[in-house]
Amino acid sequence: MKKVAEIFFTIAALVSAGLYLLFAYPKRIRAKKTVYVYACNEDELPVQGVRQYYLKYSLRGQEVQKKIFIVNTGKEQFCLSSVCTHLGCLVAWYRPENKFLCPCHGGQYDIYGNVTAGPPAAPLNKLPIKIENEKVHIGLKL
Amino acid sequence: MGYLFDWLDRNFGIKKPHRRFLYRPIPEGVNYFFCLGGIAFTLFIMLFASGLMLAIYYIPSESEAFASIVRIDNEVRFGWFIRSFHKWSANLFIVAIMLHTIRVLIYKAYRHPRQLNWIAGASTFIVAFASGFTGYLLPWDQKAYWATEVGTSMAQTVPLLGPYLCFFLRGGEDVTGATLIRFYAVHVIYLPLIMCFLLWAHFHLVKRQGIKGGL
Repeated sequence: MKKVAEIFFTIAALVSAGLYLLFAYPKRIRAKKTVYVYACNEDELPVQGVRQYYLKYSLRGQEVQKKIFIVNTGKEQFCLSSVCTHLGCLVAWYRPENKFLCPCHGGQYDIYGNVTAGPPAAPLNKLPIKIENEKVHIGLKL
Repeated sequence: MGYLFDWLDRNFGIKKPHRRFLYRPIPEGVNYFFCLGGIAFTLFIMLFASGLMLAIYYIPSESEAFASIVRIDNEVRFGWFIRSFHKWSANLFIVAIMLHTIRVLIYKAYRHPRQLNWIAGASTFIVAFASGFTGYLLPWDQKAYWATEVGTSMAQTVPLLGPYLCFFLRGGEDVTGATLIRFYAVHVIYLPLIMCFLLWAHFHLVKRQGIKGGL
């Protein structure tokens, strides 16, 4: 009986110590890299205004879709993320008012992605655009 | 393990001063219900150990607390296990203390000469509840926030002192980051220290007075 208890407590102590080490040993965090994902062909870009695209790519073995906007103001062209900087809902372009509207808490952004109303504290994220061989690629941090 | 302990004991002599406790006579009429206090103590040790582990990753700040909890659950190895372990041990701790109290009540073990031990035990109960209440805020989610909002506002019903007590508990007018840090400090430093002292007193008295036997 005493022997059994001894073995039991020895195993329990070793398992606990192992668990503790596994738990406390920090994980190496992979630095996020900018990956360029295909969006559309160059001739599909908006001449003026906002157009939305869905980027399709795989992340950790899963097919993911991400909504982005490509904006052409007539003077400059840039790409905006659709993720609201307040709490991460997806904003939509509302043509009649020339605004991006967030359905969750009423955040509003102008065509440049700057906040015009609502709770968001920061403008919409700008994403880098790369055009190669008439194909448009958008840079995402993955 | 046995050899190791024996070697330690030969050099350190830790067994001898505890002889009276380890080899004390047990009265007749003792049954498995007398294990409830021991179960509660085991759960306390488990809580202590898992709490030490969670303290490595938890961040007691308004903006980081919830994110750190999510990180513990999803990214840290066995983090989900340790957090669940802490949570369930805490629940069972309260249950074990309650059952232990009922056992003591039924066996009339609170009577003379054990009044002081009853007081020590009841204080332990209060400290355990306080630990549960302060620990509940730490995930910093909606449930935690509103539970604390309601819980601390109950203090306002105390005659005369109520509003001041609530202000003191919250560290301000409302439940904010100040409350979180306050509760964190109380949860991980003050209460465990008080608990250790109370349990030492509790066990010291058990050692001195022996166990009250069966009915």
